[in-house]
Amino acid sequence: MADVVLKSLTKKYGNHVVVDHLNLAIKEGEFVTLLGPSGCGKTTLLRMIAGLEKVDGGEIVIGGKRYTALPAQKRNLAMVFQSYALFPHMSIRNNIIFGLRLKRIAPIKIEQKLTWIVNMLHLKGLEDRLPKQVSGGQRQRVALARALVLDPDVLLLDEPLSNLDAALRETAIEELKNIHRKVGKTIIYVTHNQIEAMTMSERIALLNNGIIEQYETPKQLYDHPATMFTAEFIGSPPMNFFTGEISIEGRTAGVKTSIGFLRLNKDRSRRIISMAGRKVTVGIRPHNIYYVEHVAQRRYTDANIELVIELVENMGDRSLIVGKSSGGTLVRFMVTREEEFLPGRTMHVFIDGRSLHLFDPLLKLNIFGQDGTI
Amino acid sequence: MKFVRRYAQLTPMASSKRIIWVMGVLLAILTVLGPVYLLVKYSISDGASINTGGRPIPFWPLHPTLSVYGYLFSDRHFYTVLGNSLIIALLTVACSMLLGVPAAYILGRYKIPGRRLVLLGIISVRLFPDIASVIPIVEFFIFIGAHQTYWGVILSHTLLALPYVIFIGMGAFETIPQELEDQASVMGANRFQTFYSVLLPLAVPGLAAAAIYTFLLSWDEFIFIYFLTFGRQEMFTLTLYLNGLKYAEPQNLLAATSVCLSIPVIAFSMVVQRYMVAGISSGSIK
Repeated sequence: MADVVLKSLTKKYGNHVVVDHLNLAIKEGEFVTLLGPSGCGKTTLLRMIAGLEKVDGGEIVIGGKRYTALPAQKRNLAMVFQSYALFPHMSIRNNIIFGLRLKRIAPIKIEQKLTWIVNMLHLKGLEDRLPKQVSGGQRQRVALARALVLDPDVLLLDEPLSNLDAALRETAIEELKNIHRKVGKTIIYVTHNQIEAMTMSERIALLNNGIIEQYETPKQLYDHPATMFTAEFIGSPPMNFFTGEISIEGRTAGVKTSIGFLRLNKDRSRRIISMAGRKVTVGIRPHNIYYVEHVAQRRYTDANIELVIELVENMGDRSLIVGKSSGGTLVRFMVTREEEFLPGRTMHVFIDGRSLHLFDPLLKLNIFGQDGTI
Repeated sequence: MKFVRRYAQLTPMASSKRIIWVMGVLLAILTVLGPVYLLVKYSISDGASINTGGRPIPFWPLHPTLSVYGYLFSDRHFYTVLGNSLIIALLTVACSMLLGVPAAYILGRYKIPGRRLVLLGIISVRLFPDIASVIPIVEFFIFIGAHQTYWGVILSHTLLALPYVIFIGMGAFETIPQELEDQASVMGANRFQTFYSVLLPLAVPGLAAAAIYTFLLSWDEFIFIYFLTFGRQEMFTLTLYLNGLKYAEPQNLLAATSVCLSIPVIAFSMVVQRYMVAGISSGSIK
């Protein structure tokens, strides 16, 4: 087990910078996810940590030791590839003990470790089969067993669940969380799937174009997106964005947008009162736009918006509705399915002023800062 | 034809297509087995079944006999020749593999500078017909003292086989997913360990094909060995022995020698083919 520190790490392919002076510190035993859209450099970053990609600048320090120029086979790390990369000509047993044999560990100890890992990952009875003779879920567990049995300082996982079907993925997520709790390894997990990232990791490093947009706990990332990219990427269905201008109505400050005047809660309203006239982008999650017939339930800060339903999308227990305001702006929001909604109907929704996110349209940064403070 | 008609009836749809297909298969079988039939027939024929004196040659020998085989296997020189052929072919396979596999590995898995030039150089060896290159090569072999020696012959055959071994082997190494190599090195394997325990076993099917090809090439080779042995009888291989029989009458001895020439090739191919199991790398990815 060890902590991982990346200092100003850089990777270029020709003139194209894939990882750009990236800094990241991972605590010992922490489960960190590198999340981002495809091409953001997350897999390259993982391969650099593993020693499979040459480092063009900066440093990798693991457990206090400089790893930057160390070849892959001399780093005490383990990696699970997206494809699992099981050796097709070796039995499950030989796949699992391949690394142990290379380390010249005594045969008795190898057997002990094999028994331990096979029991932990429910692979008992499959030891003599070839990889092609076991199911996809089992292959994924073999790949994991092969990595864990090496007792690595850091476990690197490159989208290990993306080849599993939805049901298997759910159980695999649970299993992975359990394993992390049991063995307490430092885990670096790469995925483009935000649900995997949100459910498993202690901290998420959100990557975009080779830089870290935000490095926070899943809750912080969701509740306090520091940049517009984070706000757009995290959360499903995605956040609504409206352009507007800070203005004062009555005694409170809010944002004047194409769908109407949106009030902020008192605390934050006071902080932007001096910025009147400034252009902003307002973000609001579909979950924070609600619909109730009883107007009495609404708060003072909730803006009342009239919309015409354009599209209804059934999402199981709830529906996603896309409505059009009188100004032509499209608004996405969620409703419970107790009532039937049909396109063309006019309805009133309320926007929760406490959940508005304000971004600078040019800098694309949260104007309240990362923690909600200016 | 009864079979064809009955087969066509099983699937009334597109029966004419079926008939064409079956005819094609029968034609293919005939092409493959026809020469084998002729060879075997002549080798067990008595003289009267070959020199029929104007009458049509019978479909099957009038008096089948194994007497020419008896004659062949009582000839001590024949054993020497058979042994020569086997030793030269097997050692050629060994040499070509030993030299060709490392080259194929490097060319198949590394982006070395000048790779295209190297490949061009290797394939250019085979751009000249053997008959054109044999004189200069033999001249050179005489110069280095490899003339009329076993190692000279093996060297010349290795020279002929190596481009094929490298190209077939390169294809075998190229198709192995990069991730298997990456995985091995993350698990602590150095380059040699990765090559020996991951890449080489996965390249075996392709390399087996190359081995069969090399064996055949050496076993069938005539021109180089003709010039390199230069009449030294105790170094003769089966092809040279056969050459000596080409005017012998009746042709049953020639046919029997040809059968003996074919059997080891079939045996070698069958043994090596076991390693050519297709789809051995399925199950590694996904």
